[in-house]
Amino acid sequence: MAHRVDNEYDYLFKIVLIGDSGVGKSNILSRFTRNEFCLESKSTIGVEFATRTLQIEGKTIKAQIWDTAGQERYRAITSAYYRGAVGALLVYDITKKQTFENIQRWLRELRDHADSNIVIMMVGNKSDLNHLRSVPEEDGQALAEKEGLSFLETSALEALNVEKAFQTILKDIHQIISKKALAAQEAAGSGPPTQGTTINVTDSAVNTKRGCCSS
Amino acid sequence: MEEMTISKGNRHNSEGTGVLPRAEIVHDEHPLSLGKTSVWNQFFQESETVEQIDRDVKRTHPEMQFFNGDSSDALSNQESLKRILTIFAKLNPGIRYVQGMNEVLAPLYYVFKNDPEENNAESAEPDAFFCFVELLSGFRDNFCKQLDNSVVGIRSTISKLSQLLKRHDEELWRHLEVVTKVNPQFYAFRWITLLLTQEFKFRDCIHIWDALLGDPEGPQATLLRICCAMLILVRRRLLAGDFTANLKLLQSYPPTNIDHLLHIANKLRGPIPY
Repeated sequence: MAHRVDNEYDYLFKIVLIGDSGVGKSNILSRFTRNEFCLESKSTIGVEFATRTLQIEGKTIKAQIWDTAGQERYRAITSAYYRGAVGALLVYDITKKQTFENIQRWLRELRDHADSNIVIMMVGNKSDLNHLRSVPEEDGQALAEKEGLSFLETSALEALNVEKAFQTILKDIHQIISKKALAAQEAAGSGPPTQGTTINVTDSAVNTKRGCCSS
Repeated sequence: MEEMTISKGNRHNSEGTGVLPRAEIVHDEHPLSLGKTSVWNQFFQESETVEQIDRDVKRTHPEMQFFNGDSSDALSNQESLKRILTIFAKLNPGIRYVQGMNEVLAPLYYVFKNDPEENNAESAEPDAFFCFVELLSGFRDNFCKQLDNSVVGIRSTISKLSQLLKRHDEELWRHLEVVTKVNPQFYAFRWITLLLTQEFKFRDCIHIWDALLGDPEGPQATLLRICCAMLILVRRRLLAGDFTANLKLLQSYPPTNIDHLLHIANKLRGPIPY
């Protein structure tokens, strides 16, 4: 999907931000990519796009992040944006129980439209509003464990854990891809790649409809 | 599946011989019923709509004191916007409220409310409501998920824009859609659904809407021509850009001389391609 012009990164990972309307997806994105936060930001219509390049385990990773509208009406449109995504941040608002209850709906949405190997991280946002909390952190943790997702509570306002959330998911994706590449090389009989060998997984892993772990 | 289970359970209740006669509670009146005629289901859906409207009205032009802040004027304007959107949602059960309608309503309400004639300004709410209904009668299909894949839905409108660009600037069209693979949905979806209200400063948006609403070709055709002109206006940057650069440019369109933009749009007249 992405047209690669510059070669200043080793991998390009497409990540989608999903979750109910008003949980703070856009602010998580702006905090991560521009270190900005806007208390009353406009609602997202369709999709918004941003990138940031960072170092993960010695590799230069370009994270291409797609922020999607939360409302039901936009699901049909946003499903096209799951194409090629290797990671998803599934966001709820710790002060709004309904947004947590809808996590299951979003997981179903991902199962229907995204690659089956997509790496999913669940994020409970607005942890700065602890006095208004209606979803205990343990509940988030428990659901994440049950569904096999990684989990963090974040505050885009206080810049708490946002960086860590992206670092975690990007690291997870990178590890899967490295293992995949290694396995592919071994299967091809060429042994593990020596230092300096270029592992050409970017095209198949990121730029096609299939995700990082599809074989 | 769920509905079947519920109706089964219901039948069981009505046949039961318990102390309380449950037979009178018909399926649709059950508080957990998902049936369309269920008053409870309607109640829950409505409160969801009202919550969504409330959330979005608070996020309408947060940079403008007219719409935002704690002043009594701002609060009263917000109440007006909420009432208009809620009544529209009730009168149009097929669409109800869709995010973004607040952005389409805002310029109308703003203009009426700032009428120098005090008498007129007082009627800003009903006037804006009337014009909002009128305006959406031409654009409501864009908000309707069920029509997404039909000839009147948003996807078809977007492909008309794509055809228009191809006809007027094939080189740019090819670079955008074939070479850099920028799907027009990624930017034009918002341009078209919101009638460009999130792409420009509010003042510029009013300027564009003057052309949009005053053009004898009608707002739909005019909107597509203006969108096409927006692409042509930044063609040099687009032709030099890759996927990322182009998408970023089109998702945050640079400040523009609006007269010039409208001048270019004016030169693109002709039948809309299909």
